[in-house]
Amino acid sequence: MPIIEVCELQKQYFLPDDKSQKFFAVNGVSLSIEQGEVFGILGPNGAGKTTILEMIEGLNDIDGGEALIDGISVSTNPYQVKERIGVQLQANEYFDNVSLEELLSLFGTLYHRTINPEALLEKVQLEEKAKAKPAALSGGQKQRFSIACALVNEPKILFLDEPTTGLDPQAKRNLWNLIQRLNGDGMTIVLTTHNMEEAEELCDRIAIMDHGKIIAEGTPQELILDFAPEPPEAPLHGNLEDVFLSLTGYGLRE
Amino acid sequence: MIFTPLQRHLTSIFLKIFLRDRRSIFFSLFFPVIFMTVFSLASDREQEPINIGIANLSSNEVSSDFVQRLSDSPMFNAVSGESEPLREALLVGHQTMVLELPADFGASPDTVSSEINVVVDAAQVSQLGLIMPVLEQTLLSIEREFRSIAPMFSITIEDVQARSQRYIDFLLPGLMALTLMNLSIAGSGFNVVEYRRKGILKRLFVTPIEPKDFIIAIVFARLTIVLVQLTVLISLAVVLLDIRIIGNFFAYYFVVILGTVVFLCLGFSLGSLAKTQETIGALGNIVIMPQIFLSGVFYPIESMPEWVQPLAHLLPLSFVSTGMREIANAGAALTEIIPSLLGIAVWLTISFLAATRLFLWKEVAN
Repeated sequence: MPIIEVCELQKQYFLPDDKSQKFFAVNGVSLSIEQGEVFGILGPNGAGKTTILEMIEGLNDIDGGEALIDGISVSTNPYQVKERIGVQLQANEYFDNVSLEELLSLFGTLYHRTINPEALLEKVQLEEKAKAKPAALSGGQKQRFSIACALVNEPKILFLDEPTTGLDPQAKRNLWNLIQRLNGDGMTIVLTTHNMEEAEELCDRIAIMDHGKIIAEGTPQELILDFAPEPPEAPLHGNLEDVFLSLTGYGLRE
Repeated sequence: MIFTPLQRHLTSIFLKIFLRDRRSIFFSLFFPVIFMTVFSLASDREQEPINIGIANLSSNEVSSDFVQRLSDSPMFNAVSGESEPLREALLVGHQTMVLELPADFGASPDTVSSEINVVVDAAQVSQLGLIMPVLEQTLLSIEREFRSIAPMFSITIEDVQARSQRYIDFLLPGLMALTLMNLSIAGSGFNVVEYRRKGILKRLFVTPIEPKDFIIAIVFARLTIVLVQLTVLISLAVVLLDIRIIGNFFAYYFVVILGTVVFLCLGFSLGSLAKTQETIGALGNIVIMPQIFLSGVFYPIESMPEWVQPLAHLLPLSFVSTGMREIANAGAALTEIIPSLLGIAVWLTISFLAATRLFLWKEVAN
């Protein structure tokens, strides 16, 4: 049985310009993610990636359809779902003037657990920063700390919203290693990204979204085979970015 | 009150955040202290002695007795001299008043009474009302002694409150109420908006925390902080400004605690309505400003125009400051300030309902 089952999920918002009109931010999305998979959701800005994640995580009301995590309905048992998942949000700010180890132990308490902050920090290579404040961390360190926070409840599933956006190549590779290690320990990982290389490197399967719908789904190889444009002369070229652009077009998004 | 480990832990984190923020600790105390000191100095200043010049043209015992009495009075800073130079000193403002005692001053009590010429600068005429009774009183007592008449009447002033009430004594409870309002509204409202803007609320909502845990923790942490701040201010007032709090200390703090919770909840509501720091600033001012002027902090509500009074009496800060003042200045017991307590209770209900109804985790989208 899949660990995440999403069926015909819908989310409606008012148009920013015209409050009397609504639009579908997510329009009938179904997903099925297996235990132990790394699943990537790709899509231009505004495609509905973050909204989908937030509905599955219980952060956003589900307007239509159903989401089951580990067989538990998110809309009827959000608190049970929250116990089983770890979430890294796009914005990763924390309280000022509170050290990393204090924050981790607070997050542990929020899950009614007593945790060992050093062990978690060691897991994300931040053991030397235990007494540091989040404001003193670099971009890569902040992302790793966010993942440490998401691990305090030993989740079955880890959600990562654009984990490597804005990181330098070293920090990015370092984070990929961390994600692969966690997945190697059996954790299911769902991530969104704009980085095609990242999706190809990390993800077992990928869903490409646009305008609130999934427009393609499969392993990276399947997607390249199915959608990368045939080059007129050269025998094989094309990568996942060609797939992405040919599916979603070249038009600039907000 | 029994707190869950989660609420205790979150409360301790909020306290740590505050204690490590030296700058806001400083500013939260700096302005109230300045305020208190300025008002205390302004209300404490003693009446300066009035400069008077005396030109004594007579030279008998009576006139020198009169001059001596004026010189001895703490009200006056008397200088004797010739008439002309004294008048010039009056013109340039070195003297407030010049008395010219005629040559026949007190010479023969049985003939016509002698006339003292009082020369004043018109700009200083307001002082006249203060000086003239003293002059008359002094003249009268000299005359009595001279004629050996015992005074028929004497006046003793008795303070019915049996203690002296200075303006600063009136002001301090109001100022404390004002300070607790400012600290509370800023403490809850501004912080909630800040946590929402940074996405911290959303991050917390990822975990199984419930809204009541968050509200209880932040209210309790802020309540502790405000109580400590007020205690520091009150101690300063008692030690440095010699303020007297007559009533029961626990009753005083009971009102302080209720008031703080009211304004914390109001701040929470504002923080939920406002989406940005600018909006919370504006909303905060709309709530705070009228109360500063209408709630009887600086002067009694009864001294305001009559049409404002019914409205002014209903403001939350009015109930809090009136209650605190009655305890501090008149030694009232809690049972004697039931009207204030009822008003606070009504506001507590309103603000608590607003805070819990309006508070939303979910509307935390970027």
